[in-house]
Amino acid sequence: MVAPMTPYQRAIASVMNEPVDELCSSPLALGLARRLMPQTVTYKEWATTPELAAQSFVRAYEVWKLPFTVCLVDLSVTASNFGAHVRMDKENTPFVDEHIIHTAEDYEKIAECPTEITEGRTGALLEMNRLLAPRIKDKSFHAAFLEGPLLTLTQAGGAEQVMMDMFVEPDAVHKALERTTKFCCEAVTWLGDNHAAQAMCWDYLWGNYSCLDDGQYGEFEGDKYAKATNEATRKAGLGCGVHNCADLPHLDTQINKFGSAFYSMAYYPLIPGSPTASETIDKGYADNCLLFGNIDPQMFIRNSKEEITNATKDLCQEVKTALCKRGLNSRYVISSGCEVPPDLETKLENVQAVMDATHQYGAF
Amino acid sequence: MSKEEIYQALCDAVVNLKIKESAPLAQKALDEGLDPVETINEGLVKGMTIVGDKFAAHQMFLPQVLVASKVLYAGLDILIPAIPAGALDNAKKAGASVVEGDVHDIGKNIVKTMLTAGGFIVTDFGKDTPPKTIVDGVKNEGLDILCLSTLMTPTMDAMKATIDLLKETGLKGNCTVTIGGPPTSPEFAKSIGADHRDNNAQDCVAWLKG
Repeated sequence: MVAPMTPYQRAIASVMNEPVDELCSSPLALGLARRLMPQTVTYKEWATTPELAAQSFVRAYEVWKLPFTVCLVDLSVTASNFGAHVRMDKENTPFVDEHIIHTAEDYEKIAECPTEITEGRTGALLEMNRLLAPRIKDKSFHAAFLEGPLLTLTQAGGAEQVMMDMFVEPDAVHKALERTTKFCCEAVTWLGDNHAAQAMCWDYLWGNYSCLDDGQYGEFEGDKYAKATNEATRKAGLGCGVHNCADLPHLDTQINKFGSAFYSMAYYPLIPGSPTASETIDKGYADNCLLFGNIDPQMFIRNSKEEITNATKDLCQEVKTALCKRGLNSRYVISSGCEVPPDLETKLENVQAVMDATHQYGAF
Repeated sequence: MSKEEIYQALCDAVVNLKIKESAPLAQKALDEGLDPVETINEGLVKGMTIVGDKFAAHQMFLPQVLVASKVLYAGLDILIPAIPAGALDNAKKAGASVVEGDVHDIGKNIVKTMLTAGGFIVTDFGKDTPPKTIVDGVKNEGLDILCLSTLMTPTMDAMKATIDLLKETGLKGNCTVTIGGPPTSPEFAKSIGADHRDNNAQDCVAWLKG
C-alpha cells in the first residue's frame, strides 16, 4: 500500500516504474481545455494566442488534476511555417487546406525554406510552452508536442503527393526531410534552452502498418530523421516520447529502437491486429516505456458518463492485471487513445468521470 | 502481342507500378481492335484487384497503392472514351466524397479507385464538400451509391447532415450510403441512417457488390 500521492508524484513514479497509490489518469484534453476558461475562448483564439492556451492548460490542471500536460494544439503548426495554408475556423481544429507540393521541383520550396522556429505558428507554440512551464512546475509533468519530420512534410506537401513521391521521386523527398528534420531539432533545442518543457512528445503518425512497412518507414523517418530528432530531444535534456494514434503502430521501432520514455497510442477494436493495452504490456513494450492509452476518444462526446466510467473501470482492471503479470508497478497511464475531441459538444463531465473512475478502480 | 498478352501486360503494369506503360498498352489494345470494356476488366481491373488484396493483407503499402492507382487511371484515360455509348448502361453509379470541413482525402481516393476497379462508374465529389453539393450530384447523376469519408471527429456530423438532406429530398431510398474513416463505427453509421460502414476500401466494394 502506497501513501496518497500528488498527481506530479504519481507521474514521476510512473515514469520510473515505481509503486503508485493508483494508476495515473490523464486524458488528452487539449483544445477542450479552452472551455474551462472563465471567458468564452474560440478554438481559433486558443490556437493562435500563446497566453490563452497556456492559461487553459493551467485551468485543466486545476480542474482535473492531470498528472501530465501534453501540449498539442493541432497538426498543422510546423507545416504552416513551411508555407502551407492553414484554415482557421472559429470552432474547428485548424488544418492545412492548401498544400505546397505538386511536382518534384516543389520539394525545393521546403528544402530551401528560410523559416525560423521562433516565427509563425511554431514560434507561438514554443512561446506557449515557455509561458506554461513555470506555472505547472512540480504540479503536472509538462510535455511539449510537435509534428515529426515526415508529418511536417506530409502536412505541408500533401500526404498523397508525398507518399507517391516516396516511390517515384525519393531523392526530392529526402532533401525536404533533411530540412524539416533540422527545423524540428532546432525547435526541441529551443525548448530545452528556455526550460520550456520537461519532455517532447513527437507525432510520428506514419509509423504504422496501414501506411508504410518497416523498410519504408525506416528510410523516410525512423532510421535517420526521427533518430536525429530523438537525439536532439535527449541532448536538450528533455524526455523523449511519441504519440501515434494509428491502428497498427510500429511498436518495435517507435518504442524499442527509439528508446522512447513514453508512448501514447490508440486501440481500434474493429481492426484485426490492433494491439490492446494488455497485449502491449504482455509483449514487453512497457518494460522501459510509460504507455498512454487507450479509451476511445469518441466516448467523450457520444457516450454517457456511466458508459465511459465502465470503460475506464474495464481498462484499469485490464492494465493492473497485465502490469502485475509482467512484474511492473506503474508503467501505464489511463488516457484517451488520441486527443479528446475539442468540440463544443464534448462532455466535460466525461473527462472528470475518467479521473474519478481511475481513482476508484485504478487504486493499488 | 495476342489479346491475352496485352491484358496480362496491363495487369502487370498496375501490379508492378509501371507508370509509363499503361497508357501505351491501352492504346495498343485499341489499335488492335480489342473491346475497351474487356480490356479494362481483364487487364487494369485484374491488376488493381491484386494490389487491393495485397494492401488489405499488408503486403503492399500506401505509396505503392497510390502509384498503382496512377497507373490504373493512365490506362482508363485512354480506354474509357473509346467505350461505345450504351455499353455501360447497366453499370452502377457511385459517388465518393470527403464531407464538409475535412480535407483528408487519401481514403476517399482509394475507395474511388477500388470502386472504379470494381466496375462502378464513379463521380468524385472531392473534399470539404457541402451536403447540398453532394445531394445535388446524387440527383443529377442518378447515383445508386454514395460513399462518405472523414478523418476527423468534428466533421462526423457533416455525414449526418448529408444523409439527412438525402432523406429530405427523397433520394435516400434509391441510394445506398456507406461511410468510412477512423472515427466512424458501425454503431455511428446506424445512428445517422447510413447503410454500411467498413474498415477498408476492398471490403466496402465487396459489400456493395455482394
